[in-house]
Amino acid sequence: MLLAIDTSAGTSAAVVAGELKSLVVYDDPFGHAENIGLAIRSALADAEVKISEISGVVIGRGPAPYTGLRVGMAAGLGIAGALGLPTYGVMIFDAVAHSLGTGRFVLSSDAKRRELFIAAYDNQVLVEGPSVMAPDQLDKFAGFEQVSASCDAGKLGLYAEFALAKGIDLSDVSALYLRSPDVSPSAGKKVSG
Amino acid sequence: MHLRKLSIDDLSAVMRLERESFPSDAWHEDSMRAELQSPNCHYVGLFDNELVGYAGLSTIPGTFSSDVQTIAVAPAQRGKGFGKLLFQELLAKAKSLGSEQALLEVRIDNEPAIELYKAFGFERIDVRKRYYQPDDVDALIMRLRIEQPLVLGIESTCDETGVGIVRGNRLLANALHSSMDEHAKYGGVVPEVAARAHLEAIKPTLEKALAEAGVAMRDIDAIAVANGPGLAGALMVGIGAAKGLALAYDKPIYAVNHLVGHVGADVLERGYVQLPTIALLVSGGHTSLIHVKDLLGDAELLGETIDDAAGEAFDKVARVLGLPYPGGPQIDTLAATGNPAAIRFPRGLSLPKDMEKHRYDFSFSGLKTAVARYVEKAEIEGTDINPSDVAASFREAVVDVLLTKAIDACERLGVPRLLLGGGVVANARLREEAAKRCEARGIELRIPRFSLCTDNGAMIAALGAQLVMAGHQPSSLGFGAESTLEVTTVQTL
Repeated sequence: MLLAIDTSAGTSAAVVAGELKSLVVYDDPFGHAENIGLAIRSALADAEVKISEISGVVIGRGPAPYTGLRVGMAAGLGIAGALGLPTYGVMIFDAVAHSLGTGRFVLSSDAKRRELFIAAYDNQVLVEGPSVMAPDQLDKFAGFEQVSASCDAGKLGLYAEFALAKGIDLSDVSALYLRSPDVSPSAGKKVSG
Repeated sequence: MHLRKLSIDDLSAVMRLERESFPSDAWHEDSMRAELQSPNCHYVGLFDNELVGYAGLSTIPGTFSSDVQTIAVAPAQRGKGFGKLLFQELLAKAKSLGSEQALLEVRIDNEPAIELYKAFGFERIDVRKRYYQPDDVDALIMRLRIEQPLVLGIESTCDETGVGIVRGNRLLANALHSSMDEHAKYGGVVPEVAARAHLEAIKPTLEKALAEAGVAMRDIDAIAVANGPGLAGALMVGIGAAKGLALAYDKPIYAVNHLVGHVGADVLERGYVQLPTIALLVSGGHTSLIHVKDLLGDAELLGETIDDAAGEAFDKVARVLGLPYPGGPQIDTLAATGNPAAIRFPRGLSLPKDMEKHRYDFSFSGLKTAVARYVEKAEIEGTDINPSDVAASFREAVVDVLLTKAIDACERLGVPRLLLGGGVVANARLREEAAKRCEARGIELRIPRFSLCTDNGAMIAALGAQLVMAGHQPSSLGFGAESTLEVTTVQTL
């Protein structure tokens, strides 16, 4: 039984065990720190499971706006670390593509600054991305259905079960930022005048 | 019927009851006066119009042990549970002071009292023969073991990921990961770089703290986390992790104030924070002067910087002098061979006209600019400067203004104590000058060890433990990051 946590858009938590046992979603795109504990607690309660029954924790690695993304990842690492459980990292577009089934899709989500996070799939196989690009560049994906992707913990959890059964490696639990921090090395510029 | 703390004003009432209760071996009035006046003693009285009972506790700081000094109930008021009420109050106090045991002695023939103590969990550990004179009665020595809470604290307000573990007021672990090196190439803390580093460091730092303390996560009684003030993105990583930990074993969580954590760090050094005190917290993010009357309830922000923090000024001036980040240690080293009186740099907000609105506020922006202009002017004119003199004179200006205002606060508010905290306390000149000025004015100076002065998880754990020990309710699970949290909010509920 897996506990899945996602803060790539709103804040969500889910319990999966062969199927989706519970899913709790807070849509607020800014209240991650406030809602993370409440979402996890409710997801466990709704699924009527104790946290001690969980065998692994799934966290969404993004790509997503960073500040919120880290809250869910930190909570997942905290729970798994405390309980001595494995942590599974999922790139969120893999989870969304899995939920869509067969077909050719280019998935995108808001990366702020008039850019998109994208990833393209051909029958579940990642063919491009994840990367950041301007919206007009989506045109190059001829023959791909454009899907505005929104992930949640339920999709993450179901994909993780599928991936683990297939032997896909989910051991990378680092955040997918896809951009360097917005800063350039100090030029030692003058501070007066 | 009401219970309150006794003071020296209650001496005559206490002595009346003392003589009535212990006709053969009452304490001398001088002894009782000393008890009521001692900062290490806590006496409580039960009143029904007049005093009907009292009890006293003595706790020598740093011993983690309390002694029940006395307990008395007026003869006509016995058998009503008043003794039990007073005793409960003493034990709650012993617990809140961080004591890990309470000791008492009792006449071996005082069976009702022995029964009362046994009911509270006291065990007989020794007998002192013929202790009570002139009656020639033995004393039974009894001990209660007091379980203090094991608290894990998380700090992520700026560029240090800290995880500390305390049991009551006892420091067990203080693990730290700093991302300072990653900020060096940018010349200052970059919030996004700091937040990324927190996420990578949180799990290893947590594991390090648990190993250092020799405890398992399941043994932890409560989680504390600094939820402000600080960098929002950085705070959120600590909060996320703390909530995860709390949920894993269904433990209470306390969202605490980072600045009050700095003030509370001294409990880990000597078992308590002597109050009231003026606290001067100086770091790369803060320059705050605080009047603390009660660690868990009553703190007043007297003033703070209106522009740069003092640590930030060190970093910026270091850049002007072509020195790497962080600037504090660099300037300190350079200044060691310089003349602090070589250049008279300005002391911000120190003129008579500033005193009305900004008596306890700081400003370092003008000082930084003055140093930059001095250096640039020399460059333009093609003259040489003496970097050691510039560094020493700059450092002197910062130290002078910090201490002048802090000591002014001590004197004007009649608080003869100054507590220093924050990373700038590493500055040798600040410590040396603080010691000199405080000594000259009869002000007690407290500077916790450096690892408890800089941002750290142990001080957050210690403040959380103080809240637990004093019986405060945990925070709800829905609290968030408060980047501008006021110092008056010790805990976000």
